[in-house]
Amino acid sequence: MRYTAYNLSIDSEIDLPELFPMHTSNAEPADVKIHFGSIAPEGLADGQQLGPFLWATPESLWLQVPQVARFLISNGNAIRIAPEPCIDQDSIRVFLLGSVFGALLLQRGHLVLHGNAIRIGDQCMVCVGRSGAGKSTLAAGFLQRGYEILADDVVPVDNDCRAVPGFPRIKLWQNVAERLNIDTAGLSRIRPNLEKFNYPITLAPGTLPLPIRWIYILGRNNVTEEFLIEPIQGLQRFQPLRNNTYRVRFLDGMGLRPEHMKQCGQLANRIRLARVARPNNGFMLDRLIDRLLADIAENP
Amino acid sequence: MSGIYWLASYPKSGNTWFRVFLQNLLEDGDRPVDINKLATGRLASHRGWLDDVLGFDSADLDADEVERLRPEVYRWSSRDGEITYHKIHDAYIFTADDEPLVSREATRGALYILRNPLDVLSSFANHIGSSLDKAIACMEDQQHVLCESRKQLPDQVRQKLLSWSGHVLSWVDEPTLSCHVLRYEDMLVDPVAAFTGAVRFLGLPDDPVRIEKAIRFSDFEELAGQETEKSFCEQSPRAERFFRHGKSGIWRDRLSPEQIARIIADHGEVMRRFGYLDADGRPL
Repeated sequence: MRYTAYNLSIDSEIDLPELFPMHTSNAEPADVKIHFGSIAPEGLADGQQLGPFLWATPESLWLQVPQVARFLISNGNAIRIAPEPCIDQDSIRVFLLGSVFGALLLQRGHLVLHGNAIRIGDQCMVCVGRSGAGKSTLAAGFLQRGYEILADDVVPVDNDCRAVPGFPRIKLWQNVAERLNIDTAGLSRIRPNLEKFNYPITLAPGTLPLPIRWIYILGRNNVTEEFLIEPIQGLQRFQPLRNNTYRVRFLDGMGLRPEHMKQCGQLANRIRLARVARPNNGFMLDRLIDRLLADIAENP
Repeated sequence: MSGIYWLASYPKSGNTWFRVFLQNLLEDGDRPVDINKLATGRLASHRGWLDDVLGFDSADLDADEVERLRPEVYRWSSRDGEITYHKIHDAYIFTADDEPLVSREATRGALYILRNPLDVLSSFANHIGSSLDKAIACMEDQQHVLCESRKQLPDQVRQKLLSWSGHVLSWVDEPTLSCHVLRYEDMLVDPVAAFTGAVRFLGLPDDPVRIEKAIRFSDFEELAGQETEKSFCEQSPRAERFFRHGKSGIWRDRLSPEQIARIIADHGEVMRRFGYLDADGRPL
């Protein structure tokens, strides 16, 4: 079956209902092939071990999710999956569409940010921050106000500093869905054992990459009851971009550090970068969105 | 030499105070360290640490799956040739694979910071934003956990605390673990002796001048002053302040006779062992 995501054509042996199916009559080879196969359990013989479940060479990344599957991502165009016995396909897809696609996009030369990309006119805003900072809540809030989400969690940036659209779903925790009055009864769980759901969104197939104009780093503040927006200037911009790169550890073994530094520098020159510190006591989603939109309007 | 020294404690027992002291000792600077820039090792339950080492999101795993992988993360992190110090609130528990959560290979030892549960109580209640009676129930609950939610994503992973007594005994009576008990009350009454003992256990130089300076730079007035001035990034969203009293014996003004009796009924044995009850079972 052929799909498309991140402006790539993808032939996959595993069903990917989250992605756009691509109906093609020509026999052009796909950009990426995903297939099942065997993968050495002990890692990459000629590679560098980057973690207990992670190996890399300049061409390949080997990733094991214990009890789920091993994945081998090669040359930015091939993904091999070796599932553990009896594992469900949903569980495989969660990690395939996360870390594994992230590695593939790094191999294809993208800077990959850990956040959400939201269309604002002809440009886009990216919200980054550590896990639990509220990125998905914020994305869902923008969605409810009619904004288009270009990418959730994994945001590839091309050489022209544009965010490349992903696929039409965001992952929502039950409590976020409740806060936004989204009924999860009809939604599929991302994995059988998690109260986290696939929420389909509207994203036209063939949406073009959009220039990134604003990046906001979500965090908390203990000082005031207000949202604090603190712009980051000059050389201070580099480190936050590096810190919010998706799976920065992957870069090491694949020899991508120098390119990554260059990409961060290039992006830093083009954007408004600011820390957004929300009050400690409560998320106040509507106020946060209003505050961000006001900052965007002030800094077009 | 490499490996992890765990700075282990039940919440609100003086762990952060010790970490500020340690940071001051290691930096040996001319002025107190910034409490918002404590570099003495990430919290064991910090999701960012786990995700970084694993290479995939712990948010896409359930709490039991995460727990099974945690020893691997600590083992990997302890291989880089350095000795590191990490705060941990989990009890010394075993995973479903019957291996210690903190990994024996990764662990060099544990400094167990212990505080009178009568004083822990009001501080813990404030920290979790609950009544004293609810906090008493948490402290007696053998299955008590922190940060467990199936419906949302806390920034820390689930931590099994057990009861207060269970927590203490899990660490101090673990036969394979090198463990040094540091009582909060001793840190107050005789700081030089208490901190010097801890420093020697951690294998750090016990230079008296340096220790005295680190004690001074981490005293309660300094910490509370910094918190007033610029707040503290590790403060619980449910509490007004992190550094509240810096004293022992506050339970005498805070707890009702019934609440005191409940704590003693639940934890008397461990309290007696560590000098918080006299021979007649009266709190000291």
